Amino acid sequence: MPNRLAIVISALTTVLALSPVLGAQTGTSQTKQEKWNNVPPPESAYAGKKSGPAPRRDLSGIWDGTAPGGKGINGAKEYPAVLPGGKGIDGGQPDERNIVHPLPYTALGEAALKANHPSGPGVRTVPSALSNDPLDSCDPIGFPQMELYELDTIEIIQTANQVVYLNGFYGNYRTIWTDGRELPKDPEPRWNGYSVGKWVDDYTFVVQTIGMNEKTWLDHAGRPHSDALRVEERFHRVDHDHMELTVIIDDPKMYAQPWVAVNKYPLQLLQPDFDIPELLCSPSAMADYNKQVASTLAKPKPPKN
Amino acid sequence: MGKTLAVSLLTIGLLTFSIPLFAHHGAASYDVSKTIVLKGIVTDYVWSNPHVFVKVDVKDDSGNLQHWLIEAQNPRSQTNAGWSKNTFKPGDEVAVDAVAAKNGEPIGRFTGRIVINGQVFKP
Repeated sequence: MPNRLAIVISALTTVLALSPVLGAQTGTSQTKQEKWNNVPPPESAYAGKKSGPAPRRDLSGIWDGTAPGGKGINGAKEYPAVLPGGKGIDGGQPDERNIVHPLPYTALGEAALKANHPSGPGVRTVPSALSNDPLDSCDPIGFPQMELYELDTIEIIQTANQVVYLNGFYGNYRTIWTDGRELPKDPEPRWNGYSVGKWVDDYTFVVQTIGMNEKTWLDHAGRPHSDALRVEERFHRVDHDHMELTVIIDDPKMYAQPWVAVNKYPLQLLQPDFDIPELLCSPSAMADYNKQVASTLAKPKPPKN
Repeated sequence: MGKTLAVSLLTIGLLTFSIPLFAHHGAASYDVSKTIVLKGIVTDYVWSNPHVFVKVDVKDDSGNLQHWLIEAQNPRSQTNAGWSKNTFKPGDEVAVDAVAAKNGEPIGRFTGRIVINGQVFKP
């Protein structure tokens, strides 16, 4: 009897020891065992699910932006910094010639692009220790980069006079005023700009943002913007569980014409008890990574003996 | 490579990982044309931004130790991939598929199969 008991205890201990590894993948709160640090469900979990009608003038909720197709490509989603066929993601080019969908850079825009050295996958990527990406020293991600890079899990809270946008990646928030105020004239620039929004119908919310400082990149591929940038977002509540986001960039100093950076990007509503895992940028953790890893990776290959 | 390591080299002509896994940092520093298998004992596991990483002592055929560091993505991406801060512990015996640094430094990046204490890690 003691031997059998020992076997049972040891089997249970093994199962319990492995459970953090085996049980780590969780889904929506309908299926998950954990209340904290939730993981968006796989794409298949959404298939065939019928949704109720869209509520009127309501964007509130916790939204899954890890939908198919967009998360992994660096660069504004309609203009990924890749060659046709998705090639070229390991860098090697000083510019963006031949990318699948080229941007209409002005001469100033082209020069500003070349001054940025991105570390994310793309035609111009460099090893992270050689990158001058402000995010690598934990500068604020800014707007609209928070929608053109890592549009992951976001939360939107609506009050009587505001729509508040909370971005899970690097923990930013923006306030969009809905009280009818005008955009400010010649404001002091901000990392996230100044935003006003209004409903153009019961299901479409349009936001204008100006006054973004020039310290941020537009996206993770190092696209530039100037202080002349104006961004329009269109949030379209399709039905109860779905929303589509469109982002339009208008920066006449850097780009010869406005362009659509994100086009009807699908956002899926998550359960209201979804706990977004925290990911904040820590300068000390970045410095530690650079010291332990990035600087070693960037060393030149030693000559053969 | 100088010394022979306790690794097996699998030459693979195409990318063995999918783009979304490497959304943050590109693979400019790694030789992505070859997957190697690193076998050894975990000495450290760091669950931190920008990259979760594992340090593994790998013995080569002569019994010499190489101190490898194998990186993944940030904690949230890794949570989404089924990892947690408890996935590895110092003392664990691991066999890990990785791509290695182009400059020959003992730094790699996870590319897929992970075996921990004889069990294939399936999130």
